[in-house]
Amino acid sequence: MANLNIDSAKERTFDAIVIGSGMSGGWAAKELTGKGLKTLMLERGRDVKHLKDYPTTNLYPWEFEHRGEVPTDIREANPVVNRCYAFKEDAMHFFVKDHEHPYVQTKPFDWIRGYQVGGKSLLWARQTQRWSDFDFEGPARDGFAVDWPIRYKDIAPWYSYVEKFAGISGNKDGLAELPDGEFLPPFPLNAVESYFSKHVKEKYQGRHVISARCAHLSKPNQIHLDQGRSQCQERTLCQRGCPFGGYFSANASTVPWALKSGNLTLRPFSVVQSIIYDEQKGKATGVRVIDTNTKETIDYYARIIFVNAAALNTNLILLNSTSHRFPNGLGNDSGVLGKYVAFHNYSAHIGAEVEGFEEWATDGRNPAGGGYIPRFRNVFKQETDFLRGYACGLGAYRGYKHKYEGVGEDFKAGLSGKEYGPWYIGSHLMGETIPKATNFVSLDPSQKDTWGVPLLKISVDYDDNDMKMQKDYVEQLTEMFTSAGFKNIKAETNHQAPGLDIHEMGGARMGNDPKTSVLNKWNQIHTCKNVFVTDGASMTSTSCQNPSLTYMAFTARAADYAVSEMQKGNI
Amino acid sequence: MDRRTAIQNLALVIGGAVLLPHCTKSSPTAHFKHFDITFDQQTLITDMAETIIPKTNTPGATDLNLYGFVMKMMDECAKKEDQTAFMKGLGEFDSVTKKMFNKTFADCSKKEREDVLKSFEKTDNGYSKDLQAFYQGVKGLTVFGYTESKYFMTKEIVYELVPGRYNAWYPVKNGKAVAKNG
Repeated sequence: MANLNIDSAKERTFDAIVIGSGMSGGWAAKELTGKGLKTLMLERGRDVKHLKDYPTTNLYPWEFEHRGEVPTDIREANPVVNRCYAFKEDAMHFFVKDHEHPYVQTKPFDWIRGYQVGGKSLLWARQTQRWSDFDFEGPARDGFAVDWPIRYKDIAPWYSYVEKFAGISGNKDGLAELPDGEFLPPFPLNAVESYFSKHVKEKYQGRHVISARCAHLSKPNQIHLDQGRSQCQERTLCQRGCPFGGYFSANASTVPWALKSGNLTLRPFSVVQSIIYDEQKGKATGVRVIDTNTKETIDYYARIIFVNAAALNTNLILLNSTSHRFPNGLGNDSGVLGKYVAFHNYSAHIGAEVEGFEEWATDGRNPAGGGYIPRFRNVFKQETDFLRGYACGLGAYRGYKHKYEGVGEDFKAGLSGKEYGPWYIGSHLMGETIPKATNFVSLDPSQKDTWGVPLLKISVDYDDNDMKMQKDYVEQLTEMFTSAGFKNIKAETNHQAPGLDIHEMGGARMGNDPKTSVLNKWNQIHTCKNVFVTDGASMTSTSCQNPSLTYMAFTARAADYAVSEMQKGNI
Repeated sequence: MDRRTAIQNLALVIGGAVLLPHCTKSSPTAHFKHFDITFDQQTLITDMAETIIPKTNTPGATDLNLYGFVMKMMDECAKKEDQTAFMKGLGEFDSVTKKMFNKTFADCSKKEREDVLKSFEKTDNGYSKDLQAFYQGVKGLTVFGYTESKYFMTKEIVYELVPGRYNAWYPVKNGKAVAKNG
């Protein structure tokens, strides 16, 4: 136990504690320190300093021992994380290995984690779309989950706020279902993507193919230069950490910004065991931490606590924060904590060959990845036999033509050929899933990790709605590709487990009613007002847009509210 | 999200020094983690790689130590069943050259060596699965090692670590870029 002498306790007392240093924790730290709060940021893993701790960032392909491939012994020892597309020789040091941090799968769930300062913000695919009222009004309209306690107008100014700082490239497309933001110039669609965009616009009412919106500095503003970041150089090696700060990560942006304020204490190697609840005061007073190097248990104290440990670990911390007042987990009077977990349905993709467009190719690399088809199903009204809808990633590409048959001089010369081959186009499904009480996480009653924290037990699965949506995606995209004249269309469904989308959300959802939700409209625990949850755990529903931008906006909004409540003496 | 895998799968891209188990004069067999390769087998695979990517006025497989790369990747990045098939196929290889030319691969002329390897790319060759797996292993990894070698990626199809541009509309005429690449 911690040494509780008074001087030491004073040293361990801050205005605010932020649990987690990734996508949303970085924002919490930036906002709280920016408002003058002495803030402690806790990170369970090691520190990863921008530039300094990106060991592979400037390596050429031939400088990797296995040319990017992951050796068999590592793959076989890590079947879960090995299924992640970005788990390659250049970035595998940023992923949690299966055996290091075990969890219990009641049903298959690929839990992909990044335990270091910056978390998964180092590794994300950087797609950033706003959610709209078609998302925030979704549960109420379609009768699932609970009504969101906010609407688009509540979050819109905060989207603008975070977009300006993070740097989002995109085009103002004027679509109600995908609100425009504060954009840097978009990465343009190429010849085939543009053709498909035009074709879809002409043939399909309400369907659009737009430039993917992404967190890259296509043209930095002063605020980005002030962060020490510079223009994206189109390396598309983002998962290694970017020497230019060309994409948004907590490491390149929010964490150094918060450190620069002089108000941030960053404490890596700090596993949070629980949030400390004071029965007399009726609020949380701090956080119990286990130092992973010394194994020492240390209590830290603060007036407010932001929980940003990443969706499922946030659930774990809250569930493990028990007290006389909250025997089932902090703020869990309702019994919903850990339940209504949802994710994104990534279970299908499609590819085709494209004839023509021979007079065009692309040069350099596109960090946005190509195009994006915003949700077009059930947007304005319910029109299919499944609820909600899906967005589609889209990309067309053309490489050099190479012949693999043969040996010898001609074969060798052929490998150096620079004659372009045909175009290909591909798309993948990104579907909304419906949060349900039966998709949940809980604490394993007996098994514990190295730090004595119960293992998380995950019980999350697809349902009929997801399978109908998958089928519809395959049908609709096949039809759209056929209509556009694409050839040799091949749609494939896969059986990837939930989790591999790396968009797990919910468990501590927001809502108006404390009886059916954990958080109020300010991401504040209904019954423990000085604790805020602003990461994926807080999501009432999942939309089909990528979630990170929304976490950032909720975090900045909640931090602003928290500080104003502190100033009023309410918390 | 995985936008680039498909592209990467299509693209033959990237070499360098590879550390290999030593063989000494007294023990010419090379001991890898998962298998042993006799001196004759080392020579065979080296000759096969050189036949696939011969030295011309530019470096060939031997110059680029692609034998080393092939064996390292087979040892460290292949699955056990693929290693087993590879080793069985390697053991059967002499039977092919014996049947075609009544001699070992080492004794074959350059043309004969090419004919032996090309016979693996015919569909009706009647070779065992293991033989095919061995050939495809050597070929695939030789080509992979060549196209990912420093030589290839700096002199043939230049790899840019920092492109600094995305030109979405890049003019092409008769299959070739109108502007000089890079």
